[in-house]
Amino acid sequence: MDSDGRMRPYYGPVAERLFGMGPSELEQKLKNLELLFLKQGVTFTVYGDERGTERVFPFDPVPRLIPGAEWDLVEAGLIQRITALNLFLYDIYHEQKILKDGVIPPEVIQGAAHFRPEFVGVNVPRDIYIHICGTDLIRDRDGRYLVLEDNGRCPSGVSYVLENRAAMKRVFPQLFGSTGVRPVDTYPADLLAMLRHIAPRQTARPNCVLLTPGVHNSAYFEHSFLARQMGIEIVEGRDLVVQDGFVYMRTTRGLQQVDVIYRRIDDDFIDPQVFRKDSMLGVPGLVDAVRRGNVALANAIGTGVADDKVTYAYVPEMIRYYLDQDPILHQVPTYLAWREDDRKYILEHLPELVVKAANESGGYGMLIGPRAGKAEIEEFRKRIEENPRNYIAQPVVYFSQHPTLVDGALEGRHVDLRPFILCGESIKVLAGGLTRVALQRGSLVVNSSQGGGSKDTWVLVN
Amino acid sequence: MLSRVADHMYWMSRYIERAENLARLMQVSVELLLDGTSAGRARASGSDEYWLPVLAATAMEGTFQLLYPTPKSGDVAHFLTLDEQNPDSILSCLREARENARTVRDQITDEMWAELNHIYLLVSSKAGADLLENSPQTFFEKIIESALRFDGITSATLARTEGWHFLQLGRSLERADKTSRFLDIKTQSADPVEGALESLQWGTILRACSAQTSYRRNHGTEFTLERVLDMLLFSTDFPRSVRFCVRAADDMLHHISGTPTGQYSNKCEKHAGSLLAELNFSSTSDVLKRGLHEYIDDLQVALNETGQAIFETYVFLPQDTSRPQVLLPPWDPLGYHLQKQQEQQQQQSASGTVPVAPTWLRAASPGQCGLSQTGPTP
Repeated sequence: MDSDGRMRPYYGPVAERLFGMGPSELEQKLKNLELLFLKQGVTFTVYGDERGTERVFPFDPVPRLIPGAEWDLVEAGLIQRITALNLFLYDIYHEQKILKDGVIPPEVIQGAAHFRPEFVGVNVPRDIYIHICGTDLIRDRDGRYLVLEDNGRCPSGVSYVLENRAAMKRVFPQLFGSTGVRPVDTYPADLLAMLRHIAPRQTARPNCVLLTPGVHNSAYFEHSFLARQMGIEIVEGRDLVVQDGFVYMRTTRGLQQVDVIYRRIDDDFIDPQVFRKDSMLGVPGLVDAVRRGNVALANAIGTGVADDKVTYAYVPEMIRYYLDQDPILHQVPTYLAWREDDRKYILEHLPELVVKAANESGGYGMLIGPRAGKAEIEEFRKRIEENPRNYIAQPVVYFSQHPTLVDGALEGRHVDLRPFILCGESIKVLAGGLTRVALQRGSLVVNSSQGGGSKDTWVLVN
Repeated sequence: MLSRVADHMYWMSRYIERAENLARLMQVSVELLLDGTSAGRARASGSDEYWLPVLAATAMEGTFQLLYPTPKSGDVAHFLTLDEQNPDSILSCLREARENARTVRDQITDEMWAELNHIYLLVSSKAGADLLENSPQTFFEKIIESALRFDGITSATLARTEGWHFLQLGRSLERADKTSRFLDIKTQSADPVEGALESLQWGTILRACSAQTSYRRNHGTEFTLERVLDMLLFSTDFPRSVRFCVRAADDMLHHISGTPTGQYSNKCEKHAGSLLAELNFSSTSDVLKRGLHEYIDDLQVALNETGQAIFETYVFLPQDTSRPQVLLPPWDPLGYHLQKQQEQQQQQSASGTVPVAPTWLRAASPGQCGLSQTGPTP
């Protein structure tokens, strides 16, 4: 919707077709849709319930439309960003030129929770660190896309994109009409091609597997969906064994070598010999096999340093430093108190800003300006002046709204967008991505466990 | 095929077969009540006694007594059907089957999954409980039909690779086990009956095995011990006879390993082959000489040994010594809860409980989200 709360004109034909159906037909179709998801098991598990209740991710049938030209710009911006992030990760795990040139203070990297000093000097296949990225975007009041965060570790949600599209085609074929929509179903093939591209042993069919934490993970459906779509094995940690620096899977016919692991387990849990000793999910010796270059991991170990909330502030600098370009995508303005101009701005606007301590997480050491009392603001002013390096600040952000079906009528609801980017021989961006919608009026929480849902995202051909 | 996957395929089909057989047995037992048997009289007097042979046939008395030290009317029926605490109730079997299927969804076809998911969702729903209450026959029928459909769908859609072989293996062994247990009902019966009632009992057992039509075609309408045993234990062409099922299991094992039939290359083939030979060269009179109950006991021991040998040959993972020892709390000795918890912690989630918006953003109330962005772009 535009800034006046009106639906943008290119929604006309789709809205017309949607309401051409009549309320009872529409309701019937929505029921069918939910049943379809339930039948196919397109569900996520609600935690904290012993029986493992499964729920369908709520779905809104009004697709999000993105004009082709608008998307092309977003795509270019995402490609630029992932290119810079991968160059940054290579640099950080090798010469660390960006630190030596003073563009990023070394403390930022050393203090990042997900930096893995053990991997400095280790080469990864084809120098790619983030192979799969799920970047969260929002649109501001001016309609610009802003990067909210880069998920460069184990981003999830892509299966919903593919399932939503398949369901829309099946239940609402008439909505598509003559609207040309860019396809999304090449994703599994692109993902597999990327995985094969990074195989250390270049055989005709490198053995790629998907490593899942297990059936209790909320994204298990996605893991098994992707494995099925790619025709590769889905393995758990206990299915893999490392011998003499090579990784094998245990099969009914003995051990079989593994070349590439698309892992959906966090670094901390991946190898109990190196990281968390109490991990029941990992593979002992895996990190050693990676170090020796005998197996490739997607994403590589240690990418978390690039999607850290503090590093985030420096991504525009990275793009300038490595690519000598201006960032195409904007991000939420982040003010760094150690820069004099920024500090001055922060101190003048404390009641409007959100201030975060750079090295603390989980909301500790944070000031929410609009909700803070005078004393708290003054306390932070003192802290920032004393230790400017430790503080960043951001304005409170506006999420755009999108027409959403509520009780048979269209109303505006807040949405975000998570496009998926694959980084292999070339960089491929899935057309559109996962649009999540906060189904409750005024809510900003697009999370499904708290009243969030999703909708199909259509990138228009023209 | 991954060893773990083979295990899941095997158990998925075993559990479906188990649920189906229990439904069959309960279905014919309900019918039996309508006749003038002691069980029928028990039913008329409001007692649960008529379910006791079913408990015995499924070897669940122990679990039942543990869960229901002072049983009330209706407890047995609930225990057998929808009781989640009973690991072998119809509901629990279907849940286990579905859980195994969910884990290997990349290995089975969408149609197989849809069928299994459908019956589980029905049985676990309020509608399922209502159906059981109001029309138990329909309830049992639905489960039997769904299991048969699953079988048909599997045979029509699943490639004949290792997954198929493990699936058929699990089904055959479970079926052999259940047919032999049903026969044991006769020996477990509290008050021995004769004449018309005995005939009725045999008829029930045959129907529980879907064997009445084949029986009549071969032996007419008179049910005798020898003929029923001959059919359910030794028939070479009736698909639920113990011999038929063991032969099918033996075939599958040889498909899996590639060893010619009649030879063996591992422990499970040796067990299955010996059992098959035993069945091939036995007759009803041997059974009666040993005693029916004892014979069935031996049979079940042999079936269990085969199952155990399959596990040891294809699935069992010797303790990985490279894995650091994790200290586990006494209430979680196998680390099940710890593992589950860790599985749940992973991912930059799009749908789980990890908040999507940064915490500071969620903390802001809706009215404050519209604050404009001003100031220099960093």
